[in-house]
Order: sequence, then C-alpha cells, then structure tokens
Amino acid sequence: MRTVAYYKGCLASLSAKELDISTQALAPKVGLELLELERVTCCGAGDIHEAEPDYYLHLNARILAYAEQTGSDTLMTVCNVCTLNLRQANHQLRIDEKLLARVNANLESVGAPAYTGGIDVQHFLWLVSAGEGYELLKEAAHKGLKGLRIAPFYGCQILRPSKLLGFEDPDKPESLERIIEACGGEPIDYPAKIKCCGFPIIQAREDVALSELIQPIEQAKDAGADAMVTPCPLCHLSLDAWQSKLLKETGRDFQMPVLHLSQLIGVAAGLESSELKFRRHVVSVEPVVEKLAI
Amino acid sequence: MKVALKIWRYDAVAGERALKEYEVDAPDEATLLDCLDIIKDRVDGTLAYRKSCRMMICGSCGMRMNGGAVLACKTRMYDIAQAGEVPVISAMGNLPIVKDLVVDMQPFWDKINAVKPYLDPGYAEPGEKEYVVSQAEMDPIQKESLCIFCGCCVSECNSMEADPDFLGPAALAKAMRFVGDPRDEATVERLQEYSGPHGIWDCTRCYFCQERCPKGVDPRDAIAKLGAEAMRHGIDSDMGAKHAKWFVTSSKTTGWLRETELVPKTQGVAASIKEIKFAMGLLKHGKVPPPVPPHVAKDVGEARALYDLVKTQEREGAAGIVQGEKALSLLEFEDAVERDPYAEGSFPRPLPLETDQGSP
Repeated sequence: MRTVAYYKGCLASLSAKELDISTQALAPKVGLELLELERVTCCGAGDIHEAEPDYYLHLNARILAYAEQTGSDTLMTVCNVCTLNLRQANHQLRIDEKLLARVNANLESVGAPAYTGGIDVQHFLWLVSAGEGYELLKEAAHKGLKGLRIAPFYGCQILRPSKLLGFEDPDKPESLERIIEACGGEPIDYPAKIKCCGFPIIQAREDVALSELIQPIEQAKDAGADAMVTPCPLCHLSLDAWQSKLLKETGRDFQMPVLHLSQLIGVAAGLESSELKFRRHVVSVEPVVEKLAI
Repeated sequence: MKVALKIWRYDAVAGERALKEYEVDAPDEATLLDCLDIIKDRVDGTLAYRKSCRMMICGSCGMRMNGGAVLACKTRMYDIAQAGEVPVISAMGNLPIVKDLVVDMQPFWDKINAVKPYLDPGYAEPGEKEYVVSQAEMDPIQKESLCIFCGCCVSECNSMEADPDFLGPAALAKAMRFVGDPRDEATVERLQEYSGPHGIWDCTRCYFCQERCPKGVDPRDAIAKLGAEAMRHGIDSDMGAKHAKWFVTSSKTTGWLRETELVPKTQGVAASIKEIKFAMGLLKHGKVPPPVPPHVAKDVGEARALYDLVKTQEREGAAGIVQGEKALSLLEFEDAVERDPYAEGSFPRPLPLETDQGSP
C-alpha cells in the first residue's frame, strides 16, 4: 500500500462530491492509502494566480507544507487545475532557495509549518496509469466495461504546459486510453480530446466557452461514444451540467453521460452505486449502467 | 537519411485541398525547413511556404506539424525519420490560408497594432538627457520581449477558435511588454483597453500558446501578468476580474471556493436571476451546494493572515509572477547533468592568455 497525502480541492469537496466519494472508495483497490489534508484551502484555480499572484504562491506553499507534515513524499490531486497550480508553485519553491526562504518566513509567522521541498505533486491519473498502480488497476478492474465505447477527455491543465506537467506527450497522450482498455472498454479517438472545455471563462464569457465546449461533446457523440471520461472535475462540470445550455443554444440534445475517472475505474472494479453516486450527475448515466447490466 | 512528409496543399484560386506525400534524401542534421527546400528544389517547385533567416529569429516559417505549430527551421527531422514516422505538415491555424503553408498574417498584425505596440512616454518632445533604464527595471518584461511574431502561439489558441476577435496570446504578450515598461506612461489606459471584450479575460487558459511558443515568451503567463496589473490598478469591473476576485475572497473567508455565490459575484444579481432555471436543474443533483452553513477549512485564519502579510511586501501585481520566472526558466535544466564543455571530443580548451603570449 502506498501512502499519499490527498488534496481534494474545492469541487470534490462541494459540487462534485461524487468524485471524492468514488476516489476514496477506489483507492485501496489500487494500492493507495489516502491521508486527507484538513487544514488546506483552495489552490486558487488560476484565478488567484492572476488576481494576487504572490498570495497564490503562499497559499500553495501552505498546502505543500501541510502535505509534507503527513510524512508522505507525494501529494495526490484529483483535479487538473489543482495539479498545475500546485506543481507550478512547487517547482518555483524547490528551485529558488531565496524564494522558498521568504515564503517560509511568512508561513511560520502566521503559524503554518515551513516547507522543505520534499513533496511531489501527482494527479490520480498518473498514479494509476503507470507502474505499480497500473498493475493493481488491471487486477482491480475485473468487472470490466464490456466493450463500452468511451471517449477520453483530458482537459488542458494536465497536459500543458508540459514543462510543468510532463507526464506524457501533450499532443499524443495515452494514459486514459490505457486505463479504458485495462477496464475492458474501447477508447474512442477524436481531435478535441486535448482541447479546452471552456470552464475557466464559462461565467464571464459564456458564448465563447460554449463554442469550445461543444467540440469534444459533438465529436465524441459523432464517433459513437457511449460515455466520456475526464480526470478533471471542472471539465466534468462543464461537460455534464452545461449540455442543457448547448441544447438551448444549438438545439442539439447530446445526452452524453460524463464520468469522473474514479467512477469509470470504479464501475469496472465493482464499486457499489452508493460509492459511484451517478445520481449526482445532471446528464443521466443510466444508459451506461443498463448496457453494463446486460 | 530518407525523410517522408505528407503536406496539405491548398490552391486558393481553385479552392482545392489535397494531401500529398513526398520522400526526399536529406542530410542527418536537416530541419523541416531544409526538407521543404529540397522538395521545392528537386520535386515540386510549386510548393509554397515562407522562410527567411533559417535560424529561429525572423519568425517566418511557422507551420503545423501533426496539428501543432512549430518553426520549421527549429524542427530537426532525424528522430522522426528514424522512427519511421510520416508527419503531416499544414498551414497554421486561426489564420486564413493563402496557398499551401502560407497564411495571411494580416489579422495577426491587426491585433498586434490594436494593443499600441510602441512606447507612450507621456511627452511629445524628448528632453535633453536620455532616459536611462536599469537592467533590473526591464527584467520583468524580458520574456515578453523575446517574441519574434511567428504566430505559433495563435495557431492553436482555443479562445480564438471560438472568438476570432480575441486579441490572442501574441498581441497580449506584446501588450504586457509595454505595460511593464518603466518608461511607458499609458499603463492605466492600456489596462482599461485590454480589459474589455476580446481581451485579457477572454483567455480560456488552455496553455496551447505556452506549449507552442518557440522562444520562451510564455504568453499565458504574460496574460496573467496583465490581469494582475489590472487588478493592482483597480481595473476590475470586467466579469472575468470579478470572477478572479471572488476566489481571493473565498480563500480568505472559508478557505474553499464559495461556489454558489460565484455566479452573482461574477455576473451581478440581475443577470443571475436569468440563470435561476438553469440553477434549479443543477440543484436537483447537488451541484449547487448551499452556502449556509459554509464549508470552512480548518485554521483558515492562517490564509487570511498570509494575505494581509504579503500585501505589505511589495510584490503586488505582475511582480508576484515575475519572482517565480527565474525558477521556471531553469525547470527544463533541473535534471541536466553538469558536464565539462571542453571534454574529450568537444571544443579544445582555450589557452590561458599569458601562456598564449609567451608561446613562439
């Protein structure tokens, strides 16, 4: 069992609780013991990086410091945006001693622990799509997806900037495909799988965001996908909840079920419906459940 | 080596597109641009593409390889050819195609011009003495100054695909180059202009620009710097700015994002009322968490204290991003092994001066 500090982030704590519940239920099956952080805050989601960048750095340093206090060398995230924000801050602090010293002095003066640079931030996707985690996943996913056609949607901030993320080729990622196959599903290929879901500007520029959002859903639908899967709860929220707006704007009723990564693996690994929480989705996942029941 | 390429040819007059395959013999060190030159010289003289310096500084040869923008003169073909790959070469995205790999750069230049890419020193006649600027004062815009106007950052910009009027990464990085210039006197006017529709807050943070830029400009970070400067100057009436501010407020008060209040705080109460039907649809599925009682992080007072503390430390606005740039620029060398540049098989070690002078 690998012990990792676990940072849920905002959405998995609130509107995407099903992501947290399914992740916690799945973790032991893929060899992960999760140490949930209690004293941490939002990573800033790129918004604080843009509004108050110095504060952003300190908030993230504080999260990293509390992760380090657990004794683990890994902080596991379940959100693309958290992953980028934390890795960006982590790299700055680990490479620049002067910056780390200043930030630590500030952390200590408000009563938070100092950070020594001993944490590696890893997305859940990365932990289960390679190495030992992947071997365990292959064993756990015994129930299988029975050839279900799944469209992987990566989202942006788990691929780019690759200098900071660097897990796989940002133009030709294959970790989700690997997992879909291991779970007995058939991965669907389509160009928009590495593009933006529009979420960061969905409040401020809804028309622009919807023009982005329609691309992956439309392409996945046209390619015959039964469902989409994403490693990011922000992508999940726009792909799932904003389909009703696409219907209103374009007249196209996609009815495309969208699964969190932990739910997709969870289905294959035989998690209970109380652990998957599909009822918390806006677009019904029932057609997928029915196909699997046959 | 043998290099095979598939090239999307385009004839604008006939309006015809065709994917043609070529194979040429090229020296091992050949770049994509070298290979195109060989095709044009020996196989098909009608192939159209732009080039000039052949050394990554003129910005003429931006094009797509397998859907991603590259500078043809920076892209070595050896590994690709050895792997037996046949890459697809096409014109850059988000710009109209003139012929084959040549795009019309006019919309690109129009956006660069729209950000007023020249100093506004605040006077008409220069004074008698020159204006001296220190290196330290220019460092914050060092990255933005590296732009060679190749258009690679624009090619896959997701916001521009959705909104062709979006100023985009190249123009906004150029905008930051002048906002951050200590000699410029039009900072506030500039930030007001860039904060409008199709500006700073239209960036969807897809980071394609950062991934594609061949010169390390990091345009998305430049846009974040503009946002931070706009906020520092109190230019925060755009919905994008309000959205960003709500994250700051949330982190200081409950620690976590106060999701349900985000819509009225961003769009205003009147606009949010129109969203009630949509919100009710989400409410049924638990997607609208009740704001009361608030979900409060343990010891959130530490975050609040950090906010107050860093506000007194003069790293507001873009300076908060600039302070981390040095570390980020070293990132790709983090795992590099230290090596002796004059090791065997490399350059001869230069002789010390005195020995040199004493030798016959």
